[in-house]
Amino acid sequence: MANYKEAPLATRPKTLDPAEYFNLSPDYRRAEEKRAALRAQLKRQYLEQLNNPHRKELIEDPALTRWTYARTNNNYFRPTAKTSLIGGLFGVLPLFVLYVVFKTDRDKREAKIKAGTYERPYKLST
Amino acid sequence: MLKVLIPTMMLFPTIWLTSPKWLWTTTTAHSLLIASASLTWLKWTSEAGWAFSNMYLATDPLSTPLLVLTCWLLPLMILASQNHINPEPVGRQRSYITLLALLQTFLIMAFGATEIIMFYIMFEATLIPTLIIITRWGNQAERLNAGTYFLFYTLAGSLPLLVALLLLQQSTGTLSMLVLQYSQPLQLSSWGHMAWWAGCLVAFLVKMPLYGVHLWLPKAHVEAPVAGSMVLAAVLLKLGGYGMMRMMVTLDPLSKELAYPFIILALWGIIMTGSICLRQTDLKSLIAYSSVSHMGLVAGGVLIQTPWGFSGAIILMIAHGLASSALFCLANTAYERTHSRTMMLARGLQMIFPLTAVWWLAANLANLALPPLPNLMGELMIITTLFNWSPWTILLTGLGALITASYSLYMFLMSQRGPTPNHIMGLQPFHTREHLLMTLHLIPIILLMTKPELMWGWCY
Repeated sequence: MANYKEAPLATRPKTLDPAEYFNLSPDYRRAEEKRAALRAQLKRQYLEQLNNPHRKELIEDPALTRWTYARTNNNYFRPTAKTSLIGGLFGVLPLFVLYVVFKTDRDKREAKIKAGTYERPYKLST
Repeated sequence: MLKVLIPTMMLFPTIWLTSPKWLWTTTTAHSLLIASASLTWLKWTSEAGWAFSNMYLATDPLSTPLLVLTCWLLPLMILASQNHINPEPVGRQRSYITLLALLQTFLIMAFGATEIIMFYIMFEATLIPTLIIITRWGNQAERLNAGTYFLFYTLAGSLPLLVALLLLQQSTGTLSMLVLQYSQPLQLSSWGHMAWWAGCLVAFLVKMPLYGVHLWLPKAHVEAPVAGSMVLAAVLLKLGGYGMMRMMVTLDPLSKELAYPFIILALWGIIMTGSICLRQTDLKSLIAYSSVSHMGLVAGGVLIQTPWGFSGAIILMIAHGLASSALFCLANTAYERTHSRTMMLARGLQMIFPLTAVWWLAANLANLALPPLPNLMGELMIITTLFNWSPWTILLTGLGALITASYSLYMFLMSQRGPTPNHIMGLQPFHTREHLLMTLHLIPIILLMTKPELMWGWCY
């Protein structure tokens, strides 16, 4: 691996970058060791629960709990100009547009029916 | 009528006097007997429009399917509740079943009522047991909020209804449906009359629910225990539809102009709530919003007052009642095993529960209105009659059908397919009771395919 040369059009992957392994400051190394220790602790806790033969309930995932809480309970909505515009555009404007569309269509049909010129395209019982 | 009502009232002594060992068996058997007795209502022999009548109660082709659905649902609710109520003391178990039976009695009297004021009283009375079920036996702290929303939305809608009914009594002298159907169309022109028209309908629109006033529904459905969700989705929403169909008889000439805002809200609501379904993380919340979507279609069908609209509305109400209740039962089975409603948590269930995957598939196919199930028949009739009313509606209903299919597929794929997470391998296998529950939901839908005349209402 010491004489790894990249392919002509490829970039060197991060795990083979010499800067990842050499010339690291002691502070960085200590921080990395601490993070590795935490990861190992979490993995050990998960594996203990997973392989416990007496476990009857689910393994709780705090990240999932936080995510579902954020999605369902917290309301991150704040009325700003942009959100009001979107709300009006999708929630209020279609109602008025549809009212105009349906009213004109039905009025045209009513006028035709009253004048007797409406030809029924389908033989429905409605 | 009494042959079903009196056994239902005798259910209360049954609940309180059986020994605890036999409580669930006895109540399930008793309610199944009531359900089979209610099937006799389906034989339509009367020429007069109303059958099986006494002074205050009668059935007619509109209320019969809903009555049979109500009676059929009680044993299913009791079956579904057995597991999660089991740890509680016997007195509380009896109270729970008493609330379900009380709800049943009020619903039978509501659907069978011939006087509109009796329908109103029963309509209000059903709120109380449901409120107690939601707020006492729900599982999260949000159930209090849910109960409040449920109670006050419905009450705020129905107080104007009371005033409107009293005014109707003053002006026509009667509130009996048998008489009102022959009354002269009322001359309605002033703002006061329009307010009266709105007052008659708002209660039912809130109950249906219509898109603008639907906020109580996701909360109530999600926080209720399984029997509460089942009865809410299957029957209580249909109270709104049924009430609308009954009231429309008296509201006639004004409805042509005043119904537009509500039809538009219903149709736009199909799309909006369908889109919200695609973004849900909570399984019961998804099913609840899909109920709003389907009921929007029913509301549109009822408000345009055509024969096909009414027939389509009833068919969709019955079919949706069974399919939605089935989905809530399935969601409850997942909840009882994982104690979480997050869809992402209970994934890949097909690997560990293969037969249940069949029920999930069947219930989701029913929800997305697969032919030849009656869900499609109802939706198709409503879509057709809306198209006849105005061709532009096909844009909304067609898009709504597409969105319905996509969220039903999303629900199925999310819960059944994909990798099963490692840590949920140790779940309890499916009980026979739960399989029985699912077959009892799905078999009526399939049987109704063979004889849809039972559901068509007046117009066949």
